[in-house]
Amino acid sequence: MIQLRDFCFRYRECSQPAVMDVNLDIPAGSFTGITGPAGSGKSMLTYALNGIVPYCYPGDFYGEVLIDGHDTCDTSLTDISRLVGSVCQDIDSQFVASVVEDEMLYGLENFGVAHELIPARVDEALEAMGIADLRDRLIASLSGGQKQKVAIASILALRPKVLVLDEPTAELDPASSRQVFLLLADYARRHGTTVVVVEQKIALLSEFADLLVIMQDGRVRFADAPAAVLARSEELLSIGVNCPRSTTLMNRLAAAGLYAGPVCTDVAQASRALLEVVA
Amino acid sequence: MRGFLEYVPGDSLLHRLNPVAKVLFAVLFAIACFCTGNLVFLAAMLAVGLGLAASCGMLRPTFGLMKAVLVFSLLLAVLLLLTTPVGDRLVDLPWGYIGTGSVLAAVTTIVRLEAAAIPLFLVFYVTKMSDLSNAAVKVLHVPYKYAFTFASTVHFIPVFMNDMGAIMEAQTARGIQFDQGGIVKKVRLMAPLCVPLLVSSVRKTNSSAIAAEVRGFDLRTRASGYREYPLKAADWLALVLGAALLAAAIALNFLP
Repeated sequence: MIQLRDFCFRYRECSQPAVMDVNLDIPAGSFTGITGPAGSGKSMLTYALNGIVPYCYPGDFYGEVLIDGHDTCDTSLTDISRLVGSVCQDIDSQFVASVVEDEMLYGLENFGVAHELIPARVDEALEAMGIADLRDRLIASLSGGQKQKVAIASILALRPKVLVLDEPTAELDPASSRQVFLLLADYARRHGTTVVVVEQKIALLSEFADLLVIMQDGRVRFADAPAAVLARSEELLSIGVNCPRSTTLMNRLAAAGLYAGPVCTDVAQASRALLEVVA
Repeated sequence: MRGFLEYVPGDSLLHRLNPVAKVLFAVLFAIACFCTGNLVFLAAMLAVGLGLAASCGMLRPTFGLMKAVLVFSLLLAVLLLLTTPVGDRLVDLPWGYIGTGSVLAAVTTIVRLEAAAIPLFLVFYVTKMSDLSNAAVKVLHVPYKYAFTFASTVHFIPVFMNDMGAIMEAQTARGIQFDQGGIVKKVRLMAPLCVPLLVSSVRKTNSSAIAAEVRGFDLRTRASGYREYPLKAADWLALVLGAALLAAAIALNFLP
């Protein structure tokens, strides 16, 4: 669904590229997590996927980015937007309306969705994010988590083939963050949507992602299944990426020769493995 | 009452009127206030305005508006008192006098400004900005880009005010005392804060523009809007009432 070939981008006002030598293949229907230290080029990568680069930020663009076979440099931003739905980092800036229902309608109206289909689309997206009861609420009266869900629902209503989210749980507590990921994963599975999420919470990514991408200094350092990436917990730590504590613990036991099983990506796996070690 | 220029939900007649009819009525009402100097008529207009505010549960915020307008209109009133020597002489001044006509002109100015401001104020609080811009596009055929620009501008006012509040709170936590000293000191303390506010405003506006573009802003046409805004009997009635008030205000000028 998404291919990046030798992608490199340098902002006009910068001497160094923000990202460089990026080669990625993201299969259709997959859930991809991108993480890395601050300034490693994570958000830049999302800009390349949703067409914001090269259309909104001036700079030098090298290589190619293909979305469903369309080169983003040869496709208009509007046409890219028909394929890729984006939820930006600053959700307050994304809102154009004062009421949830109006926010949901905005994209549907713009993309010319037939008026008779709009109510069902709005209902489905609100229910997918579990916020059907917020339909008539003022956005200003919502909590951070509710706003996040509204922002995602307003994009889901457009039924994009690819969903790109930049730190969608930045302002959420762990329980709400997991709930957002659960709802997203469920929706993506039912609709065959390809999801790309930039996220700092690596434990969440390791639980939900099929492909985990670690960025460092504008380059892709690792891109593999979460278990394969998390097996390098010491290397990750050296570049400023903290693995889940359960993973780090089990990796250290493995390094000490006390555990020889697969990499543990969550607490449940680690506790089962620990019981085996102790036994 | 919510933040500045934030929609107040409700089910009053004013809430239910067509947004275009509401705005046109408020504009006609305001023009009518400026077309006559008849104090009784203006007082009646003020009473109508307060009645409208009461009907949509906005009486308290309206009094707040009136207080703000009073400060401005008092300045004008004092200016009129000192520069309009009309009627029976009440107080002598080195350059003229304050007469009964001066007092009447000053009071009329205050009542006029108060009356003219209320319906416009109410319209912005009882109408969702998206409805106002969509109705302007559908009914008045205003190009969507202009309607969206207007709606976004109003939408961002409370956002920027919140940002300014947050910046001031952060500075207060660092020991800056905004609540002490005179207005000059306060302005001096606040002036440097305009820089971070400007930076965050530009950044937010840019993000908002990009977010709108990636949601098909450029594809929008007049037919895109999901909601229809037909003018119903009550809307026509409001327009006729507004026109009648304007006609009456003009006609009063020709009475002996």
